[in-house]
Amino acid sequence: MFRLIEEPIDAAALREAMRRPEAGALVVFEGWVRNHHGGRPVTRLEYEAFAEMAVREGEALVEAVERDFPGVAVTCVHRCGDLVPGEVAVWVGAASAHRDDAFRAGRLVIEEVKRRLPIWKKEHHPGEAPVWVNCSEENTPVRRAADYCERQASLPEVGAAGQARLAGANVLIVGLGGLGCPAALYLAGAGVGRLALLDGSRVEYSNLHRQVLFEAGDVGGEKAVRAALALRARNPHITVEPMAADLGPGNVRPLITGRSVVLDCTDNFATRLLLHDACSEAGVPLVQAAVHRWEGVLQVFQPGGGGCLYCTGLAGSPAELEGAGNCAGAPVFGPAVGVLGLLQASEAVKCILERPATERAAAATLLLDLLATSITRIARPRRSDCPYCAAPARPKTARETEPEATLWRSRQELAEAGAHRVLILATRAEREQFGWHRDGRDCFDPTEVGSIRRAVAASPLPVVLACPHGIRSAALARALRADGEPRVYALQGGLADGPLVSPVEP
Amino acid sequence: MKATRTLQIRFFALLREQAGCSDLSVTTEATTPAGLYRELMASHGLTMPPELLTYAVNETYVPGDTPLRDGDRLTFIPPVAGG
Repeated sequence: MFRLIEEPIDAAALREAMRRPEAGALVVFEGWVRNHHGGRPVTRLEYEAFAEMAVREGEALVEAVERDFPGVAVTCVHRCGDLVPGEVAVWVGAASAHRDDAFRAGRLVIEEVKRRLPIWKKEHHPGEAPVWVNCSEENTPVRRAADYCERQASLPEVGAAGQARLAGANVLIVGLGGLGCPAALYLAGAGVGRLALLDGSRVEYSNLHRQVLFEAGDVGGEKAVRAALALRARNPHITVEPMAADLGPGNVRPLITGRSVVLDCTDNFATRLLLHDACSEAGVPLVQAAVHRWEGVLQVFQPGGGGCLYCTGLAGSPAELEGAGNCAGAPVFGPAVGVLGLLQASEAVKCILERPATERAAAATLLLDLLATSITRIARPRRSDCPYCAAPARPKTARETEPEATLWRSRQELAEAGAHRVLILATRAEREQFGWHRDGRDCFDPTEVGSIRRAVAASPLPVVLACPHGIRSAALARALRADGEPRVYALQGGLADGPLVSPVEP
Repeated sequence: MKATRTLQIRFFALLREQAGCSDLSVTTEATTPAGLYRELMASHGLTMPPELLTYAVNETYVPGDTPLRDGDRLTFIPPVAGG
Protein backbone atom coordinates (compact mmCIF):
# COMPACT_ATOMS: atom_id res chain seq x y z
CA MET A 1 0.00 0.00 0.00
CA PHE A 2 1.30 3.46 -0.93
CA ARG A 3 -0.15 6.85 0.09
CA LEU A 4 0.85 10.46 -0.45
CA ILE A 5 -0.79 12.60 2.23
CA GLU A 6 -0.98 16.20 3.45
CA GLU A 7 -1.95 15.50 7.09
CA PRO A 8 0.48 14.22 9.78
CA ILE A 9 1.48 10.54 9.61
CA ASP A 10 -0.12 8.42 12.34
CA ALA A 11 2.72 5.98 12.89
CA ALA A 12 0.96 3.98 15.63
CA ALA A 13 -2.08 3.36 13.42
CA LEU A 14 0.09 2.32 10.46
CA ARG A 15 2.03 -0.07 12.68
CA GLU A 16 -1.17 -1.69 14.01
CA ALA A 17 -2.44 -2.09 10.44
CA MET A 18 0.63 -4.15 9.56
CA ARG A 19 -0.36 -6.94 11.97
CA ARG A 20 -0.99 -10.30 10.35
CA PRO A 21 -0.82 -13.76 11.89
CA GLU A 22 1.67 -15.14 9.35
CA ALA A 23 4.24 -12.39 10.00
CA GLY A 24 7.12 -13.10 12.37
CA ALA A 25 8.85 -9.77 11.85
CA LEU A 26 7.99 -6.14 11.22
CA VAL A 27 10.69 -3.69 10.16
CA VAL A 28 9.68 -0.02 10.32
CA PHE A 29 11.58 2.93 8.93
CA GLU A 30 10.58 6.49 9.78
CA GLY A 31 12.18 9.43 8.00
CA TRP A 32 12.15 12.44 10.37
CA VAL A 33 12.64 16.11 9.66
CA ARG A 34 15.81 17.17 11.52
CA ASN A 35 16.78 20.63 12.68
CA HIS A 36 20.09 20.87 10.82
CA HIS A 37 21.66 20.02 7.45
CA GLY A 38 25.19 20.56 6.21
CA GLY A 39 26.15 22.28 9.47
CA ARG A 40 23.34 24.85 9.27
CA PRO A 41 20.17 25.00 11.35
CA VAL A 42 16.92 24.08 9.57
CA THR A 43 13.61 25.60 10.69
CA ARG A 44 11.21 23.87 8.29
CA LEU A 45 10.95 21.79 5.12
CA GLU A 46 8.52 22.34 2.25
CA TYR A 47 7.72 19.12 0.41
CA GLU A 48 6.41 19.45 -3.15
CA ALA A 49 5.26 16.44 -5.19
CA PHE A 50 4.18 15.72 -8.73
CA ALA A 51 1.28 13.95 -7.09
CA GLU A 52 -0.21 11.89 -9.97
CA MET A 53 3.18 10.52 -10.91
CA ALA A 54 4.46 10.08 -7.34
CA VAL A 55 1.42 7.97 -6.47
CA ARG A 56 1.80 5.93 -9.63
CA GLU A 57 5.52 5.35 -9.05
CA GLY A 58 4.96 4.63 -5.35
CA GLU A 59 2.24 2.06 -6.03
CA ALA A 60 4.36 0.41 -8.73
CA LEU A 61 7.33 0.32 -6.36
CA VAL A 62 5.42 -1.34 -3.50
CA GLU A 63 3.91 -3.84 -5.92
CA ALA A 64 7.34 -4.68 -7.40
CA VAL A 65 8.94 -5.17 -3.98
CA GLU A 66 6.07 -7.40 -2.83
CA ARG A 67 6.53 -9.43 -6.01
CA ASP A 68 10.32 -9.71 -5.59
CA PHE A 69 10.01 -10.65 -1.91
CA PRO A 70 7.12 -13.13 -1.88
CA GLY A 71 5.25 -13.16 1.43
CA VAL A 72 6.35 -9.65 2.43
CA ALA A 73 3.65 -7.00 2.99
CA VAL A 74 4.77 -3.41 2.45
CA THR A 75 3.19 -0.09 3.43
CA CYS A 76 4.71 3.26 2.50
CA VAL A 77 3.28 6.67 3.33
CA HIS A 78 4.89 9.96 2.27
CA ARG A 79 3.97 13.43 3.49
CA CYS A 80 3.84 16.57 1.42
CA GLY A 81 3.39 20.23 2.38
CA ASP A 82 5.08 22.15 5.23
CA LEU A 83 6.87 20.15 7.93
CA VAL A 84 8.82 21.21 10.99
CA PRO A 85 11.68 19.36 12.76
CA GLY A 86 10.51 16.27 14.60
CA GLU A 87 7.72 15.41 12.19
CA VAL A 88 7.60 12.13 10.26
CA ALA A 89 8.13 12.77 6.52
CA VAL A 90 7.98 9.16 5.35
CA TRP A 91 6.93 5.89 6.95
CA VAL A 92 7.85 2.44 5.60
CA GLY A 93 6.76 -0.87 7.12
CA ALA A 94 7.67 -4.34 5.87
CA ALA A 95 6.08 -7.37 7.55
CA SER A 96 7.35 -10.85 6.77
CA ALA A 97 7.59 -14.38 8.09
CA HIS A 98 11.33 -13.86 8.70
CA ARG A 99 13.39 -10.80 9.55
CA ASP A 100 15.84 -11.03 6.63
CA ASP A 101 13.23 -10.33 3.98
CA ALA A 102 11.57 -7.64 6.10
CA PHE A 103 14.85 -5.75 6.54
CA ARG A 104 15.80 -6.06 2.89
CA ALA A 105 12.39 -5.18 1.47
CA GLY A 106 12.04 -2.20 3.82
CA ARG A 107 15.49 -0.89 2.96
CA LEU A 108 14.79 -1.27 -0.74
CA VAL A 109 11.51 0.66 -0.51
CA ILE A 110 13.02 3.73 1.18
CA GLU A 111 16.03 3.77 -1.15
CA GLU A 112 13.80 3.59 -4.23
CA VAL A 113 11.42 6.22 -2.82
CA LYS A 114 14.37 8.57 -2.50
CA ARG A 115 15.68 7.64 -5.92
CA ARG A 116 12.63 7.80 -8.12
CA LEU A 117 9.56 9.44 -6.57
CA PRO A 118 9.07 12.94 -8.02
CA ILE A 119 9.11 14.66 -4.63
CA TRP A 120 11.26 17.67 -3.81
CA LYS A 121 12.02 19.52 -0.60
CA LYS A 122 12.99 23.08 0.10
CA GLU A 123 15.04 23.76 3.21
CA HIS A 124 14.50 26.92 5.21
CA HIS A 125 17.47 28.26 7.14
CA PRO A 126 17.12 31.20 9.58
CA GLY A 127 18.25 34.46 8.00
CA GLU A 128 19.08 32.86 4.60
CA ALA A 129 17.30 32.20 1.33
CA PRO A 130 15.66 28.75 1.23
CA VAL A 131 17.37 26.05 -0.85
CA TRP A 132 16.00 23.18 -2.98
CA VAL A 133 17.75 20.03 -1.76
CA ASN A 134 19.94 18.15 -4.28
CA CYS A 135 19.51 20.89 -6.87
CA SER A 136 22.74 22.74 -6.18
CA GLU A 137 26.16 21.91 -4.77
CA GLU A 138 25.40 24.35 -1.99
CA ASN A 139 23.88 21.82 0.41
CA THR A 140 24.37 18.37 -1.14
CA PRO A 141 27.01 17.07 -3.55
CA VAL A 142 25.27 16.40 -6.86
CA ARG A 143 26.01 12.91 -8.16
CA ARG A 144 26.61 12.83 -11.91
CA ALA A 145 27.22 9.78 -14.09
CA ALA A 146 30.33 11.49 -15.45
CA ASP A 147 31.80 11.67 -11.94
CA TYR A 148 30.97 8.02 -11.27
CA CYS A 149 33.14 6.81 -14.15
CA GLU A 150 35.73 9.59 -14.02
CA ARG A 151 38.68 7.35 -13.08
CA GLN A 152 37.94 4.98 -15.95
CA ALA A 153 37.07 7.64 -18.53
CA SER A 154 40.42 9.31 -17.88
CA LEU A 155 42.19 6.26 -19.35
CA PRO A 156 43.39 7.33 -22.80
CA GLU A 157 42.01 4.06 -24.24
CA VAL A 158 38.53 4.94 -22.97
CA GLY A 159 38.11 8.71 -22.92
CA ALA A 160 34.82 10.61 -22.96
CA ALA A 161 33.86 9.07 -26.31
CA GLY A 162 34.50 5.54 -25.05
CA GLN A 163 32.56 6.22 -21.88
CA ALA A 164 29.62 7.48 -23.95
CA ARG A 165 29.85 4.30 -26.02
CA LEU A 166 29.65 2.21 -22.84
CA ALA A 167 26.67 4.26 -21.62
CA GLY A 168 24.93 3.49 -24.92
CA ALA A 169 25.78 -0.23 -24.79
CA ASN A 170 23.27 -2.99 -24.16
CA VAL A 171 24.68 -6.22 -22.72
CA LEU A 172 22.92 -9.51 -21.99
CA ILE A 173 24.35 -11.71 -19.24
CA VAL A 174 23.09 -15.27 -19.35
CA GLY A 175 23.57 -16.97 -15.99
CA LEU A 176 24.00 -15.10 -12.69
CA GLY A 177 26.23 -17.62 -10.98
CA GLY A 178 29.92 -17.61 -10.15
CA LEU A 179 30.83 -16.12 -13.52
CA GLY A 180 27.83 -13.86 -14.09
CA CYS A 181 27.99 -12.15 -10.68
CA PRO A 182 31.50 -10.69 -10.96
CA ALA A 183 31.03 -10.00 -14.68
CA ALA A 184 27.83 -8.05 -14.02
CA LEU A 185 29.34 -6.22 -11.04
CA TYR A 186 32.19 -4.86 -13.12
CA LEU A 187 30.11 -4.12 -16.21
CA ALA A 188 27.83 -2.06 -13.96
CA GLY A 189 30.89 -0.35 -12.54
CA ALA A 190 32.19 0.30 -16.04
CA GLY A 191 29.01 2.23 -16.79
CA VAL A 192 27.41 -0.11 -19.34
CA GLY A 193 24.11 1.71 -19.84
CA ARG A 194 21.80 -1.26 -20.07
CA LEU A 195 22.38 -4.64 -18.42
CA ALA A 196 19.89 -7.45 -19.04
CA LEU A 197 20.18 -10.34 -16.57
CA LEU A 198 18.79 -13.75 -17.48
CA ASP A 199 18.61 -16.54 -14.91
CA GLY A 200 15.63 -18.66 -13.95
CA SER A 201 17.13 -20.13 -10.80
CA ARG A 202 17.02 -19.12 -7.13
CA VAL A 203 19.88 -18.36 -4.76
CA GLU A 204 21.08 -21.36 -2.75
CA TYR A 205 23.21 -21.28 0.37
CA SER A 206 26.01 -23.19 -1.37
CA ASN A 207 26.17 -20.44 -4.05
CA LEU A 208 27.28 -17.73 -1.66
CA HIS A 209 30.99 -18.63 -1.48
CA ARG A 210 31.48 -17.55 -5.10
CA GLN A 211 28.37 -15.70 -6.30
CA VAL A 212 29.41 -12.33 -4.99
CA LEU A 213 26.22 -10.36 -5.69
CA PHE A 214 24.26 -12.36 -3.12
CA GLU A 215 24.27 -12.45 0.64
CA ALA A 216 22.75 -14.88 3.12
CA GLY A 217 19.45 -12.98 3.15
CA ASP A 218 19.04 -13.61 -0.59
CA VAL A 219 18.77 -17.40 -0.24
CA GLY A 220 15.52 -18.52 -1.87
CA GLY A 221 15.19 -15.31 -3.92
CA GLU A 222 15.30 -15.16 -7.70
CA LYS A 223 18.89 -14.67 -8.82
CA ALA A 224 18.07 -12.22 -11.62
CA VAL A 225 15.99 -10.02 -9.30
CA ARG A 226 18.45 -10.07 -6.39
CA ALA A 227 21.39 -9.41 -8.69
CA ALA A 228 19.56 -6.43 -10.21
CA LEU A 229 19.04 -4.94 -6.75
CA ALA A 230 22.74 -5.23 -5.94
CA LEU A 231 23.78 -3.76 -9.29
CA ARG A 232 21.42 -0.78 -9.08
CA ALA A 233 22.85 -0.03 -5.66
CA ARG A 234 26.35 -0.20 -7.13
CA ASN A 235 25.66 2.15 -10.03
CA PRO A 236 22.48 4.23 -9.89
CA HIS A 237 23.14 5.67 -13.36
CA ILE A 238 22.45 2.51 -15.35
CA THR A 239 19.35 0.49 -16.27
CA VAL A 240 19.26 -3.10 -15.05
CA GLU A 241 16.59 -5.45 -16.41
CA PRO A 242 16.16 -8.71 -14.51
CA MET A 243 14.55 -11.63 -16.35
CA ALA A 244 13.83 -14.65 -14.16
CA ALA A 245 13.71 -17.17 -17.02
CA ASP A 246 15.85 -19.84 -18.61
CA LEU A 247 17.33 -19.64 -22.08
CA GLY A 248 15.82 -22.00 -24.63
CA PRO A 249 15.41 -22.43 -28.38
CA GLY A 250 12.10 -20.53 -28.16
CA ASN A 251 13.47 -17.30 -26.67
CA VAL A 252 17.14 -17.15 -27.60
CA ARG A 253 16.74 -15.04 -30.75
CA PRO A 254 14.66 -12.18 -29.34
CA LEU A 255 16.86 -12.16 -26.23
CA ILE A 256 20.13 -11.62 -28.12
CA THR A 257 18.76 -9.26 -30.77
CA GLY A 258 20.12 -5.73 -30.53
CA ARG A 259 22.72 -6.51 -27.85
CA SER A 260 26.18 -4.97 -28.05
CA VAL A 261 27.68 -8.12 -26.49
CA VAL A 262 26.32 -11.30 -24.93
CA LEU A 263 28.07 -13.00 -21.98
CA ASP A 264 27.71 -16.74 -21.60
CA CYS A 265 28.08 -17.35 -17.87
CA THR A 266 26.17 -20.63 -17.80
CA ASP A 267 27.30 -24.03 -16.61
CA ASN A 268 25.85 -26.41 -19.18
CA PHE A 269 26.56 -27.34 -22.76
CA ALA A 270 22.99 -27.18 -24.02
CA THR A 271 22.81 -23.44 -23.28
CA ARG A 272 26.39 -22.88 -24.41
CA LEU A 273 25.79 -24.36 -27.86
CA LEU A 274 22.42 -22.64 -28.22
CA LEU A 275 23.91 -19.23 -27.41
CA HIS A 276 26.95 -19.77 -29.57
CA ASP A 277 24.90 -20.79 -32.60
CA ALA A 278 22.34 -17.98 -32.19
CA CYS A 279 24.97 -15.26 -31.62
CA SER A 280 27.04 -16.48 -34.52
CA GLU A 281 24.00 -16.44 -36.84
CA ALA A 282 22.95 -12.98 -35.64
CA GLY A 283 26.50 -11.60 -35.72
CA VAL A 284 26.39 -10.64 -32.02
CA PRO A 285 29.73 -10.84 -30.18
CA LEU A 286 29.77 -13.57 -27.53
CA VAL A 287 32.14 -13.77 -24.56
CA GLN A 288 32.07 -17.28 -23.19
CA ALA A 289 33.68 -18.73 -20.09
CA ALA A 290 33.59 -22.08 -18.34
CA VAL A 291 35.20 -23.25 -15.14
CA HIS A 292 35.99 -26.65 -13.72
CA ARG A 293 37.46 -26.85 -10.24
CA TRP A 294 40.67 -24.73 -10.41
CA GLU A 295 40.70 -24.21 -14.16
CA GLY A 296 38.83 -22.16 -16.69
CA VAL A 297 38.48 -21.41 -20.38
CA LEU A 298 37.72 -18.02 -21.93
CA GLN A 299 36.70 -17.57 -25.55
CA VAL A 300 35.45 -14.52 -27.46
CA PHE A 301 33.49 -15.19 -30.64
CA GLN A 302 32.61 -12.41 -33.01
CA PRO A 303 32.26 -11.88 -36.75
CA GLY A 304 35.71 -11.79 -38.32
CA GLY A 305 37.33 -12.70 -34.99
CA GLY A 306 38.81 -16.13 -35.53
CA GLY A 307 37.25 -19.56 -35.53
CA CYS A 308 33.87 -20.55 -34.13
CA LEU A 309 33.33 -23.10 -31.39
CA TYR A 310 33.23 -25.90 -33.98
CA CYS A 311 36.46 -24.69 -35.62
CA THR A 312 38.10 -25.90 -32.37
CA GLY A 313 36.97 -29.39 -33.23
CA LEU A 314 34.12 -29.40 -30.71
CA ALA A 315 31.39 -31.78 -31.73
CA GLY A 316 28.85 -34.02 -30.12
CA SER A 317 25.39 -33.50 -28.70
CA PRO A 318 24.91 -31.45 -25.54
CA ALA A 319 24.17 -34.66 -23.65
CA GLU A 320 27.47 -36.22 -24.74
CA LEU A 321 29.37 -33.06 -23.90
CA GLU A 322 27.65 -32.82 -20.54
CA GLY A 323 29.17 -36.11 -19.49
CA ALA A 324 32.61 -34.86 -20.42
CA GLY A 325 32.75 -31.65 -18.48
CA ASN A 326 29.63 -30.33 -16.80
CA CYS A 327 30.16 -27.91 -13.94
CA ALA A 328 26.74 -27.98 -12.30
CA GLY A 329 27.12 -29.33 -8.78
CA ALA A 330 30.85 -29.95 -9.31
CA PRO A 331 33.52 -28.71 -6.90
CA VAL A 332 34.68 -25.21 -7.80
CA PHE A 333 37.36 -22.85 -6.52
CA GLY A 334 35.67 -19.48 -5.88
CA PRO A 335 38.45 -17.26 -7.21
CA ALA A 336 38.56 -19.31 -10.44
CA VAL A 337 35.03 -18.26 -11.43
CA GLY A 338 35.81 -14.77 -10.12
CA VAL A 339 38.85 -14.35 -12.33
CA LEU A 340 37.09 -15.78 -15.39
CA GLY A 341 34.00 -13.61 -14.82
CA LEU A 342 36.18 -10.52 -14.58
CA LEU A 343 37.99 -11.49 -17.77
CA GLN A 344 34.57 -11.71 -19.43
CA ALA A 345 33.73 -8.21 -18.23
CA SER A 346 37.10 -6.93 -19.42
CA GLU A 347 36.72 -8.49 -22.87
CA ALA A 348 33.14 -7.23 -23.17
CA VAL A 349 34.21 -3.66 -22.36
CA LYS A 350 37.04 -3.79 -24.93
CA CYS A 351 34.61 -5.23 -27.46
CA ILE A 352 32.19 -2.31 -26.88
CA LEU A 353 35.10 0.14 -27.13
CA GLU A 354 36.08 -1.58 -30.40
CA ARG A 355 39.68 -1.89 -29.28
CA PRO A 356 41.93 -3.50 -31.90
CA ALA A 357 42.11 -7.32 -32.02
CA THR A 358 45.71 -7.25 -30.75
CA GLU A 359 44.43 -5.95 -27.40
CA ARG A 360 41.76 -8.57 -27.03
CA ALA A 361 41.30 -12.29 -26.61
CA ALA A 362 39.69 -12.42 -30.05
CA ALA A 363 40.64 -15.41 -32.20
CA ALA A 364 42.17 -17.18 -29.21
CA THR A 365 41.23 -19.58 -26.47
CA LEU A 366 42.65 -18.73 -23.05
CA LEU A 367 43.23 -21.52 -20.56
CA LEU A 368 43.67 -20.47 -16.96
CA ASP A 369 44.85 -22.65 -14.15
CA LEU A 370 44.50 -21.01 -10.77
CA LEU A 371 46.19 -23.92 -8.98
CA ALA A 372 49.29 -23.60 -11.13
CA THR A 373 48.85 -19.83 -11.60
CA SER A 374 49.26 -20.14 -15.35
CA ILE A 375 47.59 -18.71 -18.44
CA THR A 376 47.93 -20.45 -21.80
CA ARG A 377 46.83 -18.77 -25.00
CA ILE A 378 45.94 -21.01 -27.95
CA ALA A 379 45.29 -19.46 -31.35
CA ARG A 380 41.81 -20.24 -32.65
CA PRO A 381 41.91 -19.70 -36.42
CA ARG A 382 38.90 -20.10 -38.68
CA ARG A 383 39.09 -23.55 -40.26
CA SER A 384 38.34 -23.66 -43.96
CA ASP A 385 36.78 -27.12 -43.56
CA CYS A 386 34.71 -26.35 -40.44
CA PRO A 387 31.33 -27.94 -41.10
CA TYR A 388 29.48 -25.28 -39.06
CA CYS A 389 31.12 -22.26 -40.69
CA ALA A 390 30.32 -23.82 -44.07
CA ALA A 391 26.61 -24.15 -43.24
CA PRO A 392 25.74 -22.22 -40.08
CA ALA A 393 22.05 -22.88 -40.49
CA ARG A 394 22.67 -26.54 -39.70
CA PRO A 395 24.67 -26.62 -36.49
CA LYS A 396 23.31 -30.00 -35.48
CA THR A 397 24.71 -31.63 -38.58
CA ALA A 398 28.10 -30.28 -37.70
CA ARG A 399 27.92 -31.73 -34.25
CA GLU A 400 26.78 -35.08 -35.45
CA THR A 401 29.58 -35.51 -38.00
CA GLU A 402 32.24 -36.12 -35.37
CA PRO A 403 30.92 -36.78 -31.88
CA GLU A 404 32.88 -35.05 -29.17
CA ALA A 405 32.81 -38.41 -27.41
CA THR A 406 35.67 -39.47 -29.69
CA LEU A 407 37.81 -36.70 -28.19
CA TRP A 408 37.74 -38.39 -24.83
CA ARG A 409 39.31 -41.64 -23.76
CA SER A 410 38.14 -43.17 -20.53
CA ARG A 411 40.49 -45.35 -18.53
CA GLN A 412 38.39 -48.33 -19.60
CA GLU A 413 38.65 -47.41 -23.29
CA LEU A 414 42.39 -46.87 -22.98
CA ALA A 415 42.80 -50.33 -21.57
CA GLU A 416 40.86 -51.78 -24.51
CA ALA A 417 42.23 -49.56 -27.28
CA GLY A 418 45.74 -50.96 -27.36
CA ALA A 419 49.00 -49.06 -27.26
CA HIS A 420 48.83 -45.32 -26.66
CA ARG A 421 51.36 -42.74 -25.69
CA VAL A 422 50.30 -40.73 -22.66
CA LEU A 423 51.54 -37.17 -22.28
CA ILE A 424 50.98 -35.60 -18.89
CA LEU A 425 50.28 -31.88 -18.85
CA ALA A 426 51.10 -30.67 -15.38
CA THR A 427 52.97 -27.87 -13.74
CA ARG A 428 56.08 -28.57 -11.76
CA ALA A 429 54.19 -28.08 -8.50
CA GLU A 430 51.54 -30.59 -9.56
CA ARG A 431 54.12 -33.14 -10.68
CA GLU A 432 55.92 -32.89 -7.35
CA GLN A 433 52.68 -33.01 -5.39
CA PHE A 434 51.32 -36.07 -7.15
CA GLY A 435 54.54 -37.79 -8.20
CA TRP A 436 53.67 -37.72 -11.91
CA HIS A 437 57.27 -36.92 -12.83
CA ARG A 438 58.52 -40.25 -11.48
CA ASP A 439 58.77 -43.53 -13.42
CA GLY A 440 60.01 -41.72 -16.53
CA ARG A 441 56.57 -40.57 -17.70
CA ASP A 442 56.32 -37.86 -20.33
CA CYS A 443 55.50 -34.67 -18.52
CA PHE A 444 55.06 -31.26 -20.10
CA ASP A 445 54.24 -27.94 -18.60
CA PRO A 446 50.81 -27.01 -20.05
CA THR A 447 52.22 -23.75 -21.38
CA GLU A 448 54.78 -25.58 -23.58
CA VAL A 449 52.31 -25.84 -26.45
CA GLY A 450 55.06 -26.02 -29.11
CA SER A 451 56.86 -28.94 -27.43
CA ILE A 452 53.60 -30.81 -26.91
CA ARG A 453 52.68 -30.27 -30.56
CA ARG A 454 56.06 -31.67 -31.69
CA ALA A 455 55.78 -34.67 -29.35
CA VAL A 456 52.33 -35.48 -30.75
CA ALA A 457 53.52 -35.12 -34.34
CA ALA A 458 56.53 -37.36 -33.66
CA SER A 459 54.58 -40.12 -31.93
CA PRO A 460 54.00 -43.31 -33.95
CA LEU A 461 51.19 -44.20 -31.52
CA PRO A 462 47.93 -42.37 -30.83
CA VAL A 463 48.46 -39.80 -28.07
CA VAL A 464 46.35 -39.30 -24.96
CA LEU A 465 46.79 -35.97 -23.20
CA ALA A 466 46.23 -36.15 -19.46
CA CYS A 467 45.94 -33.21 -17.08
CA PRO A 468 44.60 -32.94 -13.53
CA HIS A 469 40.94 -32.39 -14.44
CA GLY A 470 40.68 -32.86 -18.20
CA ILE A 471 40.20 -29.17 -19.06
CA ARG A 472 43.64 -28.26 -20.41
CA SER A 473 44.03 -31.60 -22.11
CA ALA A 474 40.67 -31.37 -23.90
CA ALA A 475 41.27 -27.81 -25.10
CA LEU A 476 44.75 -28.70 -26.37
CA ALA A 477 43.53 -31.89 -27.98
CA ARG A 478 40.86 -29.92 -29.82
CA ALA A 479 43.39 -27.34 -30.95
CA LEU A 480 45.77 -30.04 -32.19
CA ARG A 481 42.93 -31.81 -34.02
CA ALA A 482 42.01 -28.53 -35.64
CA ASP A 483 45.63 -28.38 -36.81
CA GLY A 484 45.31 -31.76 -38.46
CA GLU A 485 46.29 -34.27 -35.76
CA PRO A 486 43.34 -36.69 -35.69
CA ARG A 487 44.95 -39.23 -33.34
CA VAL A 488 45.04 -37.13 -30.22
CA TYR A 489 42.70 -37.69 -27.28
CA ALA A 490 42.06 -36.37 -23.79
CA LEU A 491 41.91 -38.50 -20.67
CA GLN A 492 38.34 -38.39 -19.41
CA GLY A 493 38.00 -37.20 -15.84
CA GLY A 494 41.65 -36.19 -15.73
CA LEU A 495 44.46 -37.55 -13.58
CA ALA A 496 42.69 -36.53 -10.38
CA ASP A 497 39.96 -39.07 -11.12
CA GLY A 498 42.13 -42.05 -10.15
CA PRO A 499 45.40 -43.80 -10.94
CA LEU A 500 46.49 -44.47 -14.50
CA VAL A 501 46.33 -48.19 -15.19
CA SER A 502 49.71 -49.59 -16.11
CA PRO A 503 48.84 -51.35 -19.42
CA VAL A 504 48.13 -48.05 -21.17
CA GLU A 505 51.36 -46.45 -20.16
CA PRO A 506 54.26 -46.50 -22.58
CA MET B 1 8.21 24.51 -42.85
CA LYS B 2 9.26 22.10 -40.09
CA ALA B 3 6.61 20.10 -38.26
CA THR B 4 5.58 21.44 -34.88
CA ARG B 5 3.85 19.86 -31.92
CA THR B 6 1.93 21.32 -29.03
CA LEU B 7 2.86 20.05 -25.57
CA GLN B 8 1.57 20.60 -22.05
CA ILE B 9 4.46 21.23 -19.68
CA ARG B 10 4.44 21.11 -15.89
CA PHE B 11 7.20 22.63 -13.81
CA PHE B 12 8.06 21.66 -10.25
CA ALA B 13 10.31 22.93 -7.46
CA LEU B 14 13.27 25.04 -8.61
CA LEU B 15 12.16 24.96 -12.25
CA ARG B 16 8.67 26.15 -11.32
CA GLU B 17 10.18 29.08 -9.47
CA GLN B 18 12.53 29.97 -12.31
CA ALA B 19 9.87 29.59 -15.02
CA GLY B 20 7.42 31.59 -12.93
CA CYS B 21 4.55 29.18 -13.63
CA SER B 22 3.44 25.60 -12.96
CA ASP B 23 1.82 24.91 -16.31
CA LEU B 24 2.81 25.95 -19.80
CA SER B 25 1.52 25.08 -23.22
CA VAL B 26 4.18 25.31 -25.93
CA THR B 27 4.17 24.77 -29.67
CA THR B 28 7.65 23.71 -30.67
CA GLU B 29 9.82 22.24 -33.41
CA ALA B 30 11.82 20.37 -30.76
CA THR B 31 11.46 16.62 -31.20
CA THR B 32 12.74 15.37 -27.82
CA PRO B 33 12.40 16.35 -24.13
CA ALA B 34 16.12 17.17 -23.92
CA GLY B 35 15.90 19.31 -27.06
CA LEU B 36 12.92 21.22 -25.73
CA TYR B 37 14.60 21.81 -22.37
CA ARG B 38 17.55 23.46 -24.12
CA GLU B 39 15.12 25.79 -25.89
CA LEU B 40 13.33 26.65 -22.64
CA MET B 41 16.59 27.34 -20.79
CA ALA B 42 17.09 30.33 -23.06
CA SER B 43 13.46 31.46 -23.31
CA HIS B 44 12.48 30.95 -19.65
CA GLY B 45 15.71 31.57 -17.78
CA LEU B 46 16.13 27.98 -16.50
CA THR B 47 19.60 27.50 -15.03
CA MET B 48 19.66 23.83 -14.04
CA PRO B 49 22.25 21.94 -16.14
CA PRO B 50 20.47 19.39 -18.39
CA GLU B 51 22.64 16.51 -17.13
CA LEU B 52 20.94 16.79 -13.73
CA LEU B 53 17.44 16.34 -15.17
CA THR B 54 15.29 13.35 -15.91
CA TYR B 55 12.14 13.48 -18.00
CA ALA B 56 8.60 12.19 -17.74
CA VAL B 57 6.14 12.01 -20.61
CA ASN B 58 2.53 11.32 -19.64
CA GLU B 59 3.61 10.64 -16.05
CA THR B 60 6.20 8.00 -17.02
CA TYR B 61 9.99 8.34 -16.86
CA VAL B 62 11.52 8.35 -20.37
CA PRO B 63 15.04 8.88 -21.78
CA GLY B 64 15.80 12.44 -22.90
CA ASP B 65 15.94 11.44 -26.55
CA THR B 66 12.41 9.96 -26.68
CA PRO B 67 10.43 11.30 -29.67
CA LEU B 68 7.69 13.72 -28.60
CA ARG B 69 4.16 13.49 -30.00
CA ASP B 70 1.55 16.18 -30.32
CA GLY B 71 -0.45 16.51 -27.11
CA ASP B 72 2.14 14.84 -24.83
CA ARG B 73 2.25 15.93 -21.19
CA LEU B 74 5.90 16.65 -20.43
CA THR B 75 7.59 17.17 -17.08
CA PHE B 76 11.21 18.10 -16.43
CA ILE B 77 12.22 16.41 -13.19
CA PRO B 78 14.93 18.11 -11.12
CA PRO B 79 16.97 15.86 -8.77
CA VAL B 80 14.40 14.39 -6.39
CA ALA B 81 14.67 14.60 -2.60
CA GLY B 82 11.88 12.54 -1.09
CA GLY B 83 12.16 10.87 2.29
